[in-house]
Amino acid sequence: MIKRQSIGTKLIGTLAIPAAFAAILFGLCAAEGKTMFATPISVNYFVLYAAIVMITTMALSINLNSGRFDFSLGAMAVLSSVLSAKITYALLQGGSGSAVVMLLLGVVIGAVLGLLSGLLYVGLRIPPIITSLGVTLIYEGVTFTVTSGKYVNTEVRNASMSAFSGTWIWPALVILVVLALIWFIFDRTKFGYDYKALQNGQKVAVNTGIREVPNALVCYVICGALMGIVGFLSATRSSTINGGSLNFGSIGIMFTAFLPMFIGGYIGRFSNDKLGYLIAALCMSLLNSTFAVFSNQISASMQSIINALLLVIFLIYLSNEGLLKKLFQRKQSASCGER
Amino acid sequence: MAQSELVKKHRVRELLVALLPIAALAVLFGALCLVVNIKGYRLDMYLKIVFNEGVVLAIVATGAIFIYSLGSFDISLGASTLFSATIGVMVYNASGSLPLMILTIFGVAIGCSLLSSVLASVFHIPVFVTTVAMMSVLSAVAAQIITTNGGALGGIGIPATVVAPLDNVPFKLIALAAFALLCVFVFDFTKIGRRLKFLGSNAVCAKLSGIKVNVYAIIAFVMAGLGVGLGAFLTLVYTPSVTPTTAGSIGMNILVAIVFGGMPISGGSRSRIYAALVGGFSYILLNNILKIVIDSGAGYGISQIVSAVFFLAVVYVTSMNYRTKLLPR
Repeated sequence: MIKRQSIGTKLIGTLAIPAAFAAILFGLCAAEGKTMFATPISVNYFVLYAAIVMITTMALSINLNSGRFDFSLGAMAVLSSVLSAKITYALLQGGSGSAVVMLLLGVVIGAVLGLLSGLLYVGLRIPPIITSLGVTLIYEGVTFTVTSGKYVNTEVRNASMSAFSGTWIWPALVILVVLALIWFIFDRTKFGYDYKALQNGQKVAVNTGIREVPNALVCYVICGALMGIVGFLSATRSSTINGGSLNFGSIGIMFTAFLPMFIGGYIGRFSNDKLGYLIAALCMSLLNSTFAVFSNQISASMQSIINALLLVIFLIYLSNEGLLKKLFQRKQSASCGER
Repeated sequence: MAQSELVKKHRVRELLVALLPIAALAVLFGALCLVVNIKGYRLDMYLKIVFNEGVVLAIVATGAIFIYSLGSFDISLGASTLFSATIGVMVYNASGSLPLMILTIFGVAIGCSLLSSVLASVFHIPVFVTTVAMMSVLSAVAAQIITTNGGALGGIGIPATVVAPLDNVPFKLIALAAFALLCVFVFDFTKIGRRLKFLGSNAVCAKLSGIKVNVYAIIAFVMAGLGVGLGAFLTLVYTPSVTPTTAGSIGMNILVAIVFGGMPISGGSRSRIYAALVGGFSYILLNNILKIVIDSGAGYGISQIVSAVFFLAVVYVTSMNYRTKLLPR
């Protein structure tokens, strides 16, 4: 029998991790006499980074939760941003509306790249992890050829792009739209129900008449579109795109999404996994903002180590949660017995 | 009668598919000789380059077969190679002793592997996620050590004269052959290999048969650690300095090499040690051929595209016997 959670449990379960993150990180800053959001720019970057992490996490989880490992997410983000930036520049020469056009083109190109990746997977019928290795190499190769291995600067440095990253409102709007769309698609449509059925029992779902191939293809298209947005947001954040990544140099982008994916999944037990990804992304962005505050003391290497340790510690807890609960209950019953 | 003919046909087809990676290696070798001759370059020089690049990848990938046979995969092996070599350099510079450096490299490599396996088997963390975390930590620590002690660009190193006597083909060939023979022996002629394949084929059934998963996972990681140690040492023999980018692509190239060599990524009974050797050298041969043919800066991108298409084609053909009705996961 499934035990229903009370509203209190749901609230505590949903908010415990972000509250702990906020308390620790704001506490650390306060202890050193520093402010995390000293300027409006730091708030803008906080929201922008949260948007990047949330959308990457969603893209990663869509296929990973179905047992399809996709290494090509980073390559898709970079290639879609390079192509959309170049086309937008050719059309508008960096004039007004460049950011919106680049965002829309990024979504379309990302979706096409996702579709191609999906078609290769369903067409070849080889494990998705292997297909994604090939796709990563191909997309990186195309990016390198288009950019001659150079950074793309002129195409993304203009007033329109600066205006987008110069306020937190646009990234926040992107977060809301993506969250609402993904929630609707996966929790309120037939496609979403089929996706969940396939996720939980592939053979049974196929035998009941669910069409697996179209479902998988749509998943790849959505992932591609999401990574198109990530490519655009990353370009506005850093005002450049690195076109020189070869030999799996682009896969680092997806590794930032592992910790928020697990945190989001945990929070999702108490509310909704998509909301969980947003909350987890906010936590990651808080951590990133704290690193920025302590940039003189904490090097980039140290930040990588801290992120990896957090991932390991959280997973140790997650994987041994039942064991820890049993131990705690045993201790409690032993102390009751003593009394 | 008709059924026995069908079985015979199926076996012939299986044999042909199994031989395909070896045939691909032979074709690629021939193609390299051909393009080098057409371009008028020195063949001996290119063969040496391919051998030196391929030997490290083949050794690390051979050790990694033990992990891959379980159906798991480890992308931290490149970072582990960098970290072991970095610590080895530090130890040599502090002690001036080559044997101590070699011992340290192997110790650190096996230690890193053991840490991954303990995290995965004792704390029940998914192996892949453990290796993602290990990759971040090891490459970050190595980068920190290198930049603190020598600068990110120049890196840190040992005097070239220390390892120069070992920088020759016979020594590396002996190292490769010795390690490959050890792996073939453990994998194909002991219960360790059989049980690893059993675990990779059907973990539930293997557990119910009394096989201790944790023990065999640890053994697999130790064997991979040995490969990483030898690979790290040979990396230093070839280039006696390390930078944060040293061995950076090995972790992912292992995956490509193993699949290229005809082994399924799901591991199990079809795991083969030779897959790493064949796949490792094939991949390096292919990359070098493309570098020679597409001889320009932007050509790196095109050669990577061609290499990826070739990779997918080989995998498609070698997995033709194992198509399922459902989409593979």
